[in-house]
Amino acid sequence: MKTMALHHCSYQVARAKVETVRALTDLEKLFRLVLPDGEALNHDPGQFVQVSLFGVGEAPISICSSPTQLDSFELCVRRAGRFTTALHQLNPGAEIGIRGPFGVGFPVIPLEGNDVMLIAGGLGLAPLRSLIHYIIDNRRDFGKVDILLGCRDPQSMLFCDELEVWRKRLDINFSCSVDRGAPDWEGNVGLITALIPGVHLEPLKTVAVVCGPPVMYRFVIQELLKKGIAERHIYLSLERHMKCGLGKCGHCQIENLYCCRDGPVFNYADIKNIKGAI
Amino acid sequence: MLKTLTAQDLFRLLDRVSRDYNLLVPRNLDDGTRGLVKWDGQQLDFCGDPLQRKPTSHFFPQTDLLVQLLKDGTASVPRKTPEPLALLGLCREDLQGIAFCDRFFSVPPADDIYLDKRRGALLIGLTGQAGPEGEFLPLAGQDCDIELIAEKPTWTAVAYSEPGAHLLEEFPDADPQGFERLWERSAEITVARQEKLAQAAQLLQRELVTDDFWEEIAARCIRCGGCNFVCPTCTCFCVQDRQGSHGTERSRIWDSCQLDAFMREAGGHNPLGTALLRTRRRIHHKLVDDPQRWGEPGCVLCGRCDRACPTGIGMYSVCDAIVSRFGERL
Repeated sequence: MKTMALHHCSYQVARAKVETVRALTDLEKLFRLVLPDGEALNHDPGQFVQVSLFGVGEAPISICSSPTQLDSFELCVRRAGRFTTALHQLNPGAEIGIRGPFGVGFPVIPLEGNDVMLIAGGLGLAPLRSLIHYIIDNRRDFGKVDILLGCRDPQSMLFCDELEVWRKRLDINFSCSVDRGAPDWEGNVGLITALIPGVHLEPLKTVAVVCGPPVMYRFVIQELLKKGIAERHIYLSLERHMKCGLGKCGHCQIENLYCCRDGPVFNYADIKNIKGAI
Repeated sequence: MLKTLTAQDLFRLLDRVSRDYNLLVPRNLDDGTRGLVKWDGQQLDFCGDPLQRKPTSHFFPQTDLLVQLLKDGTASVPRKTPEPLALLGLCREDLQGIAFCDRFFSVPPADDIYLDKRRGALLIGLTGQAGPEGEFLPLAGQDCDIELIAEKPTWTAVAYSEPGAHLLEEFPDADPQGFERLWERSAEITVARQEKLAQAAQLLQRELVTDDFWEEIAARCIRCGGCNFVCPTCTCFCVQDRQGSHGTERSRIWDSCQLDAFMREAGGHNPLGTALLRTRRRIHHKLVDDPQRWGEPGCVLCGRCDRACPTGIGMYSVCDAIVSRFGERL
C-alpha cells in the first residue's frame, strides 16, 4: 500500500496521578488527577478520556472540570461495575492510565454571545459541569445563563456545594427538581421537563445544551421545541460505551457516525432522523 | 506493467518473493477447506474454493496485543517487525476487503497496530481460471501489488505497485490485446449478484424495508456471531486485560454486533437492545452507513457470511429476500 505513515501509537497510555478523591454521594466519587510535570490535559468541555486500570480494564469517562483549570483535571465516576468499583478503591497517590482527550465536546463558539440553557439530568451534570465552569470563568462572553438540573432524589444530587454557589450567583439562573422528594427537601419535585416551561427566554438567541440519561432526551427536546428554540440550537451529549476512542472498535457507532469521534456532543438537527441515536 | 509467465517463471517469481517475504500460498487442505500456508518451495494449489479464513485476519487477527504494562510500571507498545508477509491467492473480493480495512484503519487517528503488520506486506491476487474446477474468477485490476491471472498453461501478471513491478521486471512482456480479452471475459460474470446488492442497498437507503421483515430475519438468528467473524470488512473489537508473570497485557479481540452485550452501557442503556435492531444494523451498516461514511458498501460479496451462517441469513441471502419482498417499491 502506498501511504501508511505511522503516527504516534493510538493505544499508548499516559500515566496520571490521583491527587484527591472526594465522595460526592454513596455512588459517585470525584477524582482530581494530575499528569506528569503538571502538564495540562488540553481538553474541550464535554470531551472524554479513556481511563486505564491495568489488569482490570479501560473505560471512557467524561472530564468534568473546565479546561480553564490547567494544573489538573477531574473525573466524576459512578460505581456501576467491576471497573468503576476498582477505581473507587483508589486512594490519593495512586497511578492510573489515561488516553485522550477524545471526541467533539460542547460547542463553545456557537454559545458565545448567546443566551445559554444548560440542562443536566443525573450523572449528566458531570460532563456539563466542565462547560458550566468554563462559562463561569469566561462569563462576559455569554448572555443569560440558565442551568436546569434534575435528579432522582436529593441524596443523589452531585456537587451540592457548587450548586449552592450557582444558586446564589446573580448572573446565573439555577433551578433543580427531584423525581422523588425527601422530608427535608424544600425544592421542586417532578421531572426536569416541568422546569422548562417556566424559563423566560428569547428563542432566537438561546442555545440549549442537554446532557443526561437517554430516556430524558426525547421529552426535554419536545419542551425546548415548544419554547421555540430551533433544532439547530439544541446540542446533546450522547452516552455510548467507547472501547477505543479512535473510531475503530465499532461499539459507539450510530449508523454512519462514531460517537467517540463525531460526538459525544451532537447537534440535534444532525441526528434527529438517525434511528437509535436518541 | 504487463508480463506473461510460464509455470517455470512462476516458481522463479515465488522463490524470489520468498527471499524477502514470509510467503503464504493457497493450498486445498485435507479438511476440504482452502487456506494460505507457508510456501515450501514446491506445493501450492492454484485452483480451489474461496479461502475459508478472511484475508484481513493476517493484519487484524482475532486477538492482538495493544499494549503491555511491565511490573516496573512502564507501558510499552508491541513493535514487532517480523519478516513482511506476502499473501498469494487472494481473489478480487478478498483484495477489496483488505483495501477496505486499509482505508478504515489508516484514517486518522491511524491504527498503528494494524498498520505495523500491513505496511510492507505484499499482496498477490489470483484471478482468471483459478476457481474450484478452473472456472474463471473476475479480475481485480487494483488493490494488490501483483495480479496473477491464470490462463492455463500460462499466467498474465500485472504489477500495480513499485515492489510488484520490481519483482516482475525480469519476465517477458504480455500481449495487451490478450489482456483486454481477459477483461471482457471478466466483465461478463458476477453482475447479477452485484445488482441484487445495489437494489437492496437502494431499498434500505430509501427506508422501504419494514420492521416486520427484520423481525423475521432476527427470529432466525442464533447469535453465533459467525457472520461477523468471517467478514473481511468487519473490524469491531473488544478490549481485554490479562495478567501474566511479567505484567499486564492489553489485547483486542474480535467482537460481534450481533451479540446482545455489544453496545450495552454501564448504566443499563443498550442502543442495540433487541434482536431486530442488531439484525437490521448488520445489513444496514454495510449497505447504507458504510457508503455514507466511506463512499462504498462494506460488503464485497465474498460470500463468507452466506457460507458460515447456519440459518441462511448471510448478507446475500438477506439482500435476495429484501429485493424479492420489497423490490417492486423501487
